[in-house]
Amino acid sequence: MKKLFTLLLALVLVLSLFALPASAQSKGVIKLGGLAPLTGNYAEYGKGFQIGWQMALDEINAAGGANGYLLEIDVKDSQGDTVVSSTMATAFAEDEEIMAILGDFTSGACKANASIVDRYGVVQLSPTASAPDYASMSPFCFSIMGRQDGEAPYLATYVLKKYLGVTKVAVIRVDSDWGLSCFENFKVQADIEGLEVTEEKYKSDETDFSSIITKAKLSDPEVLVVMDQGAAVSAIFNAADSAGWDIKHVALGPGTSEQVVSQLMTPDNIIVTSPFFFDPQNAELTKWKEEFAGKAGFDPTVHPACAYDTMYLIKTAIENIGDGEITRDAIRAALQDVEMVGITGRIKFEPSGDIQRDYMICGVENGEWKVLEGFDYVNQ
Amino acid sequence: MEYFLNQLVNGLSQGAIYALMAIGYSVIVGVVGMVTFTYGEIMMIGAFGAYYVFQFVGVNLPLALLAAFASSFVLGIIVYKLCYERFFNAPRHISLLCTIGFSMLIKNLVQIVFGPEAKPVLNIIDNRTFSIPLGGAVSIDLKLLQIVIMALVVVLAVTLTLFFNRTKSGVALRAVSQNKEAAYLMGINVKRTAMLGNCIGCGFGGIAGILLAIYYYTISTTTWGGFSMKAFSASVLGGLVDLRMSALGGLFIGIIENLGITISSATFRDMFAFGFLILMLVIRPQGFASKKGSRV
Repeated sequence: MKKLFTLLLALVLVLSLFALPASAQSKGVIKLGGLAPLTGNYAEYGKGFQIGWQMALDEINAAGGANGYLLEIDVKDSQGDTVVSSTMATAFAEDEEIMAILGDFTSGACKANASIVDRYGVVQLSPTASAPDYASMSPFCFSIMGRQDGEAPYLATYVLKKYLGVTKVAVIRVDSDWGLSCFENFKVQADIEGLEVTEEKYKSDETDFSSIITKAKLSDPEVLVVMDQGAAVSAIFNAADSAGWDIKHVALGPGTSEQVVSQLMTPDNIIVTSPFFFDPQNAELTKWKEEFAGKAGFDPTVHPACAYDTMYLIKTAIENIGDGEITRDAIRAALQDVEMVGITGRIKFEPSGDIQRDYMICGVENGEWKVLEGFDYVNQ
Repeated sequence: MEYFLNQLVNGLSQGAIYALMAIGYSVIVGVVGMVTFTYGEIMMIGAFGAYYVFQFVGVNLPLALLAAFASSFVLGIIVYKLCYERFFNAPRHISLLCTIGFSMLIKNLVQIVFGPEAKPVLNIIDNRTFSIPLGGAVSIDLKLLQIVIMALVVVLAVTLTLFFNRTKSGVALRAVSQNKEAAYLMGINVKRTAMLGNCIGCGFGGIAGILLAIYYYTISTTTWGGFSMKAFSASVLGGLVDLRMSALGGLFIGIIENLGITISSATFRDMFAFGFLILMLVIRPQGFASKKGSRV
């Protein structure tokens, strides 16, 4: 009787192992650090990062984790400030349980953290840093946004010269390292294309653009180009509209942002470059977009979609390590060789640690984004 | 010349809003007796109060202005009770630190409650521009929005002046502002009067907040600290507690900023504003006020 009881108990224990949820069967937990501007001027993007990461993480863990490991992320608020971001990055780097850092949002913050992640030997995978010199600062620096030396020249050649056929351009840009990088890369190509360019710049916390618009009008340009992200883009175009300035609006930076459209007085007048588009015909993307909007309370831009993809990149890298030990260096080495199709498209890192993206021209019709010219426009 | 005049109009419009901000700020400093660091968030709450009127009632500017005034007025009561009244007999820096902490609390709470994304404030006033000929080929462009804002600021400033000079509460506020002990000896309830003054100042800040949002077509949760500094600077230029001179300080800052952009870059906007403030204080420490300590 005692033997039978022992046998039954053993059987129950074995069966219960199979009945346990995925989390209890995992090999362990891999902790990640997340850097995002949850407050400050870029808070909407930071919140997007947080939700994008969490959506991917929930899916990965529900499906059994990455190679049997559950993922966990500790998101810290970098406030869009390079000093705060570096402090947070150092804290993550010194925590030996953190296997990789995702973020930050701005190229400036990522560049400030480059020497830290290099010294501690931990990956910093940014969804959005686009400065051409960021990823090459350390073998541990990665980004999937694409680089400004790809997008800004595309704007000059394919949007302004080929699509709009203009020769005189007024550029209003944010006075940050990102804005400078955009403008410098744009200007080189604009000179090649024979475009006449004037430049006005403003601080990142600027709110009043009426005097900048009055100044930009002086050169009598055919198109107004804004290089920035977020609320400033719509604020500048609205200031132009309110000054009675009838001019085509072009933006480099916001992508196909629903928020920008919702804040514009004349949304149908805007054209942007974008490496990504939420195609309403694509059921999978539409479902993702709706799920994100349900959680965030606002529609996504390309930025949270990139954040979502970075979590899957880490998962794929861990899977590619296979039976090897999961270390910071192993993740770096595996990440360098990852090839994946995410929701923002195909991702394969260059030796420098960033990726080359193709761009399309998008515009707004009746308040809805649409693709004006697709990826193949460069070949036409 | 035309370009210069148009920039002057831009400066006057922005300066008018700064003037309203400065008036509210000076009322608070006058009656409470110390500067505040919550003023930016008070303006923000006023702007959000009006924004939700636009959302739920439609474009009703008088009601929105009332909502802006009321929501900031109510916040003014909370600020007064938490940051000032409890520390009347404590060292002054306690209240100052309390306003800094309260400002951070409000800013983060608003981001949690209303979301961090900027909210559009579009089509509140018709987008019309009038070209006014000044003789020869010279004309200036004046937007209806700029006219409405400047007119509103003038009306509100005159209303406040009348309130201070023609009503019993206004006279009591002036008395408290000038000498609290003497006012107390004359039978004025100093605490209640100071709270009323603080709330009126906050209410004006709230109206300035929604005017800023209408002028810039958007409400952000993150830009108000800068406006608070502009209100403080304008108030300092006006001698801190002199309403008319503070308004003049606001106008000057708006004009200096915009003319600075005319000759250089918008990147240096604050450099012009604060450079002018420093220069002015070096030459004339009491600001525009006729004598140090001149009161409402």
